[in-house]
Amino acid sequence: MSGAQQHNIGRSVVRPDVRDKVTGATRFGGDLCGPEVLSASVVRAAHAHAKVIRVDFSKAKAIDGVIAVLGRDDIKGTNRHGLIKRDHPVFCDERVRYRGDAIAVVIATTPEAAKLGRDAVEVEYEALPVIATMADAQADGAERIHEFGNVLATQLIRKGDAAKALGESDVVVTRTFAMGGVDHAFLDLEAGYAEMDGDVVTIHASGQWVHEERRLIALALGLPVERVRIVQPPTGGAFGGREDISIQIYLGLAALTLGKPVRMQYTREESMVARHKRHPMEIEYTLGATRDGTLTAAKVIIRSDEGAYASTGPAVLRKAVSHCTGPYRVPHVEADGVALFTNNCPTGAMRGFGACQLAIAYEGAVLAVARELGMDVVELKKKNLVRDGDSITTGQVIPVASAIDCLDAALDRFHWNARRKDHPAPHLRRGYGVSTICFGLGYGDGYPDASRARVRFAEDNVLEVYSGGVDVGQGLHSLLAQIAGEEFGIDASRVRVIASDTALTPESGSSSATRQTLFSGNAVKLAAGEVHRQVMDAAAVMLGLHWEDLAIKGDRIVGIHHENVATPLAFVLSGARARGFTLDSTAVYKPRTVAPTDQSGRSPRAFLTYMFGSHAAEVIVDIETGEVRVERIVAAHDVGKAINPREVEGQIEGGVAQGLGMALMEEVVTRQGRILNASFTDYIIPTILDVPRIEAVIVERADLEGPHGARGVGEPPLIGAVPAILAAISDAIGHPVEQTPATAERVWKIIHQDNAEHLT
Amino acid sequence: MTDASTLEPLSFSLNGRPVTVDVDPRETLFDTLRERLRQTGTKGACLEGECGSCTVLLDGEPVTSCLVMALQVAGREVVTIEGIAESSQLSALQAAFVRAGAVQCGYCTPGLIVSATALLKKNPRPSEDEVRRGLAGNLCRCTGYNKIVDAVLDASREGEELSETGTAGARA
Repeated sequence: MSGAQQHNIGRSVVRPDVRDKVTGATRFGGDLCGPEVLSASVVRAAHAHAKVIRVDFSKAKAIDGVIAVLGRDDIKGTNRHGLIKRDHPVFCDERVRYRGDAIAVVIATTPEAAKLGRDAVEVEYEALPVIATMADAQADGAERIHEFGNVLATQLIRKGDAAKALGESDVVVTRTFAMGGVDHAFLDLEAGYAEMDGDVVTIHASGQWVHEERRLIALALGLPVERVRIVQPPTGGAFGGREDISIQIYLGLAALTLGKPVRMQYTREESMVARHKRHPMEIEYTLGATRDGTLTAAKVIIRSDEGAYASTGPAVLRKAVSHCTGPYRVPHVEADGVALFTNNCPTGAMRGFGACQLAIAYEGAVLAVARELGMDVVELKKKNLVRDGDSITTGQVIPVASAIDCLDAALDRFHWNARRKDHPAPHLRRGYGVSTICFGLGYGDGYPDASRARVRFAEDNVLEVYSGGVDVGQGLHSLLAQIAGEEFGIDASRVRVIASDTALTPESGSSSATRQTLFSGNAVKLAAGEVHRQVMDAAAVMLGLHWEDLAIKGDRIVGIHHENVATPLAFVLSGARARGFTLDSTAVYKPRTVAPTDQSGRSPRAFLTYMFGSHAAEVIVDIETGEVRVERIVAAHDVGKAINPREVEGQIEGGVAQGLGMALMEEVVTRQGRILNASFTDYIIPTILDVPRIEAVIVERADLEGPHGARGVGEPPLIGAVPAILAAISDAIGHPVEQTPATAERVWKIIHQDNAEHLT
Repeated sequence: MTDASTLEPLSFSLNGRPVTVDVDPRETLFDTLRERLRQTGTKGACLEGECGSCTVLLDGEPVTSCLVMALQVAGREVVTIEGIAESSQLSALQAAFVRAGAVQCGYCTPGLIVSATALLKKNPRPSEDEVRRGLAGNLCRCTGYNKIVDAVLDASREGEELSETGTAGARA
């Protein structure tokens, strides 16, 4: 804090980007250039699984307005991308593995000509058996999607002796859970342009980690990284959906080949067909307890549909197993996860990242144990939730384990004990559910996860922050301004943020894994602290006082014991610069995490820190139709410190709404590798009529690592919402609800399962 | 877009100013605004009338511009997000969106502001339920809608005399 007064931290400052967003002045990727620029369109696979026998561009090239058709022979690098495995072809070689696979890119004078050219590219296929489901992928003699087979990865946890402990448990429940695929459905479609600046190809497109995207693009195109520059425009949502490469390499190749600016924009259908999804999972969960409600052991089997390429699949599976018992103390755990390739759309990062599927499973299993024991679920939770100093399933000790704090905060706000049990109408049933979840922040597991930041006073004496971290709508840049300004008592609105441009900013890692507040926040705080020292050193020399006898107060540097010393900060900054002092520092925040062992999957520090949350939900179920209406949700999260409370509320509310979508309506429906609902007409996301009042409760138990005690907030609000809503439905109808989304049809079938002979 | 020989002239009022532009008879108002007139405040997330991002006012009524053919607006009044603010001053509604934290990524915001402007023009003091029904055609993926509802109710309570600077009024 360097002695500065509290100016920014804990204050709901107005983000500087918002004003242009309400006037329409903000230029997103698709707004940057118009018809003066060439347009590109991608040829996608006509099969989910096929050999490519022949590709012929001649008819496409003959289309009026088509300038070029580029394919695998035109690409000089690896022709591959992929965040973990580099297995995703930019343009397919001998085989297509899903319907979003690309064959070529057509560049034309207009978007219409580009689409005509795209449709005129001739591709001859030899169809292969489609691996449509995880069962298909594991079947004897199944067609291998990749040379090494259909298993992308396995993960395990071994702790104690789960089989023995289950055998000795008073009650044991086994439940099977299934989660459908989910689309990120950010509104700002993949759009942007690329141009040459000398021999540097500059790509203006939205991702989530500009420096990693630059590496992937350079490798794919066969360029040194210095010849690729990524500039991220304002970005209309991401939620993990921009982590994988989308339009960037097509654009880069086109600009590089033609030497001219080229733009492109996906349609909603193309965005949904080509882009990765949230992993569908099937989870078999066995949980044991003693008669008094002490959890004894868990056996968890996870199968994860990876689709055609790895994307972040191995990391999602690891997150799933490492979070398999969530915030509960379970002495004996045996978890096995397998990630299986299919010919479906690849699956990868999405808000919650494997942890949200497991939260559905462990909360469902805890509910089942409570029912079996005839015990109140809140009582059962409190008996088993981790407390400060306990370790969770990975073996990591949690110094600030605030699950019970969050649970109490949620129940208090909800007036849980005063909940109404009446039926609003003869066909309506009211139900209540509560969840408690945890989430490890950052990449963890020994990955070299780091954020760098540069802070300086510019020549005009404005405090500047340079960060590679991208703002995808969550307000990162405003938050970094708050943290930097805090060191000097400078209002966040007066801090200039230069961000997400590989030519200008240091690498700050990805905007994912709920990591930027913690990582880039700390990097900015460290750099700003050093610049503060630089200013004090210069001031000490200029004013002839000891640096510890000086402080910044308002816009002046004052003597702590010399009331007559009050020099304008600007004067000191200019003087410092004239005397050759540096007012500029780059810092790195690179905490240590530890990789799990192969034998146990356990690690003393799998994640830098954990965040806890608890939701309470009320639903009304129409037992005649199965329709569910969420009446109310209280969502309590321990964010450590809310640096901008209003924006924290916004993250909680938005995460809950996405969780509501996942719980009730959102599902990517796939048949034989074809997505049947690749449009906003058929893929339904919550509207303003579906989302009730969400009461965000901010719990603040300071984190030991985070800047000003802050942890972050991005993902946990989604994770907590889904199991709370499912538990509420279950309470209303008296049956477990263990499949997402819990559509009206599914809920109706559960209600009527006792009359199963009437169902088809 | 097609070559000049197939284009037809279109005249209409855009944000209070007369505009004449040559358009393809097959193009939508959305494309005319964005591609020909380079008014990019109007956004598009689905282009099939589901998301509401492309909402503009046509003779005062909110319409999804992706479903309106360009030539349908001949001689009519179109107001886009660019026409909502009074020069550099935010409308009361825009100022309320800023204050309430109703904006995250901001992609849905122009369409929401246009829809809510039309809503408040018709019903200056809506109930929360009326606000929700009035904005049911505008998807937002970031905010969970709570702060959007708050912003519209806040703007309605302020009436038309207040804005960010305390002078300009909401204008439809």
